[in-house]
Amino acid sequence: MRFTIYQESRQGGRANNEDRIAYCYSRDALLMVVADGMGGHFYGEIAAQIAVQTLTDNFQHEATPTIDDPFRFLQKGITNAHHAILDYSAKHRLQESPRTTCVACIVQDNIAYWAHAGDSRLYLMRGGKVAAQTRDHSRVRLLIEEGVINEAQAARHPDRNKIYSCLGSIDQPPELDFSRKTLLEKGDVLLLCTDGLWGVLSGEMMAVALKGSNLMNAVPMLLAQAETKAGAHGDNLSAVAVRWEESYHEEENLTSISTQTMALNEVTTRFDEFGRNPGYKTDLSDDEIEKAIEEIRAAIEKYNPKK
Amino acid sequence: MAQQANHALPNGYQLEEYLIERQLSLGGFSIVYLANDSRGRQVAIKEYLPNSLALRGEGEICPVISPEHQGAFRYGMKCFFEEGRALARLSHPNVIRVLNFFRANETVYMVMEYEHGRTLQEFIQKHQGHISERFIRGVFTRMLNGLREVHAHKLLHLDLKPSNIYLRTDNTPVLIDFGAARQTLATDQPILKPMYTPGFASPEHYTSRKDLGPWSDIYSVGAAMYACLSGGAPQAADDRLKKNLLTPAIERWNGQYSDRLLEIIDWCLSLDHLERPQSVFALQKALVAAVTPPPPKAEPNWLERVMGKLKKSAVK
Repeated sequence: MRFTIYQESRQGGRANNEDRIAYCYSRDALLMVVADGMGGHFYGEIAAQIAVQTLTDNFQHEATPTIDDPFRFLQKGITNAHHAILDYSAKHRLQESPRTTCVACIVQDNIAYWAHAGDSRLYLMRGGKVAAQTRDHSRVRLLIEEGVINEAQAARHPDRNKIYSCLGSIDQPPELDFSRKTLLEKGDVLLLCTDGLWGVLSGEMMAVALKGSNLMNAVPMLLAQAETKAGAHGDNLSAVAVRWEESYHEEENLTSISTQTMALNEVTTRFDEFGRNPGYKTDLSDDEIEKAIEEIRAAIEKYNPKK
Repeated sequence: MAQQANHALPNGYQLEEYLIERQLSLGGFSIVYLANDSRGRQVAIKEYLPNSLALRGEGEICPVISPEHQGAFRYGMKCFFEEGRALARLSHPNVIRVLNFFRANETVYMVMEYEHGRTLQEFIQKHQGHISERFIRGVFTRMLNGLREVHAHKLLHLDLKPSNIYLRTDNTPVLIDFGAARQTLATDQPILKPMYTPGFASPEHYTSRKDLGPWSDIYSVGAAMYACLSGGAPQAADDRLKKNLLTPAIERWNGQYSDRLLEIIDWCLSLDHLERPQSVFALQKALVAAVTPPPPKAEPNWLERVMGKLKKSAVK
C-alpha cells in the first residue's frame, strides 16, 4: 500500500474539543475514523473517544494484515462502540448516555469501504471533483431531498444540527449507511471530516484545494480557513485525509509511503487525544521488539540461509 | 550544542556469540564493528545507537537513554528493523547479506557479511581522477544489478554514494548501508532527520520527497560516476537548483572518456527527475550498449585541441 495521510483536529471557538479522529494501518489495510461527540449531551467527547478507540482496537486485532470482511468489520465495530458507550454510561450512572456521530473507512487492495452514522462526512475526491460523499442522517438532508429546502437554506436552517442516527442512544441503535466497494485510482483523496469543516467549506471547494497538493500543507490550510470563517464561536473541526498512491487497475510504481516492509502482524496507529498538539507516540513494546527480531531472523533463514 | 560522540564497545568484548575485534565506523545512528563469529569467520556488526538519543560513556556497555527520549529511541529502533527486514529479504551477490539479528545491551544489532576490500570512496581518493572507463563500466554495471534487485523489492536505497559502495578484492561491488531506505516509510519524525549526503542526494531529497523514486537513486549513481572522474563529490543538488555550477561531464572530460559514458552521467544528473533514466534497467541498457572508448592518446597540445574542436563543429 502506498499513501500519504494527514489528520488534525481543532477546537474552534468552543470551550472543549469533542471531536476525535484516528487512523491506523497494517501492512495491507488502512482504517480511518472520525467521531463528533454531541454537544447537547453530556460527555460528548467520551462517546467520541470510545468510538474511535473501539474501532482502532478492533483493527489491531483483526488486520492480520488484511481484514476478512471490511463491511462486516465496520458494522461490528460501530455497533460494538455503540454498546461500549451504553455500558460506560450504565457503569457511571449517567442520567443520559453520551452520543457521537461516526464515519469510518477501510482501504485494502486499493478498494475503499466506508460506513457512517450521523452527519460526519466522507468525501471521495477525484481529479479535483467530489466523486462520492456520504448522506447525512439529518433532518435537513431529508428536507433537501424532498425538495422542501435548498442547500443554501439548509445551511441556515434551525434544525441543521439535528441528526436521527448516532452512537450511544438508548432508544435506538445507530442506523448505518454503507458505501459500495469503491475501486480507488491513483491520486484519489478520501476526506473524513466533522460538520465544523464541511458546514463552512463546500466539498467542491475542498476537492479543488486538495487536488494534487501536499496534504500536510493543504489540510491545515483548509482547517485554518474554516476556523477563521466560522468566527469566534465556531464549532470543533476535524479532518483525516488520505491520498491514495496506487490504482486498483494499474501496475504500481515506486513513490512515497510504502508499507511493504511492515511485519504481518504490525499495526501503526495515530490518534490525537486532546487539543491540537498531539506529539507523536511510539509504543513499541518489548514484545513487539521480540516479534520483529523473530520475523527478521525467519526472513534471513528463508532468503539467506547459512551456507 | 555540539553532539557528544558515543563510545564504542571495547575491543575484545564478547557480544553474544561474536567477539568484537575493532570499530569500523561511527555514524550518527549506529556504530559498525568488525567481529569474529564462533567459527572464526569475520563479520560486520551494526549497533543501533543514535547519538542524539542514547549515550554510552567511556568504559560503559549499556547506553543511557533518558526517559524523554525513550519514545524516539524506540521509534528509531523500528526504523532499524525496517532496514533489517528489507535486507533480510534481499539475496543478491551485489547487496550486503544479513546473517543475524539480535537484541542485547538494551539495543539491537544486525550482523552482516564482511569481506576484505575497500569502499569506492577510498578507491577514488587513491586514484584521484585516474580511473579507467573500463573500471567504471564494470563496477557500475554490476552494482546496478544489486540496485535493480533492491528496487524490485519496492525499496529505495536513498543514500547511495561512493562510501556506500564496497569493492571486494576482485573489485566486484556490494551495496552497503541501507539505513536511509526506511525514509520511504516515515518522514514525519522530527528527531530522526532524513539522511542524505550533499553531492549525492537527488534534488527530490531536498524539495519534494513525494517525488522520490528509482530515478532518485539513479541521480546518486550519476553523482558517484561523476565523482570517479573528478575525484570528489559534484555540486550539491540544492545548490544546483539555486545556481547550477556543475560542468557537464561531456564538456569537462571531452575526449578522455567515451561520449556515451559522459552522456549517461549527465543524463543521470538531470535536475528534473523525469529527464533521468526512469529505471535501473534503462540505465543498464545504456551502459552495456557496445561502445569503443577512445584510444588512449598523448595529451594534445593546445593547437591540436583547438583544431580538434573546430573539426568537430565542422562535422556538426
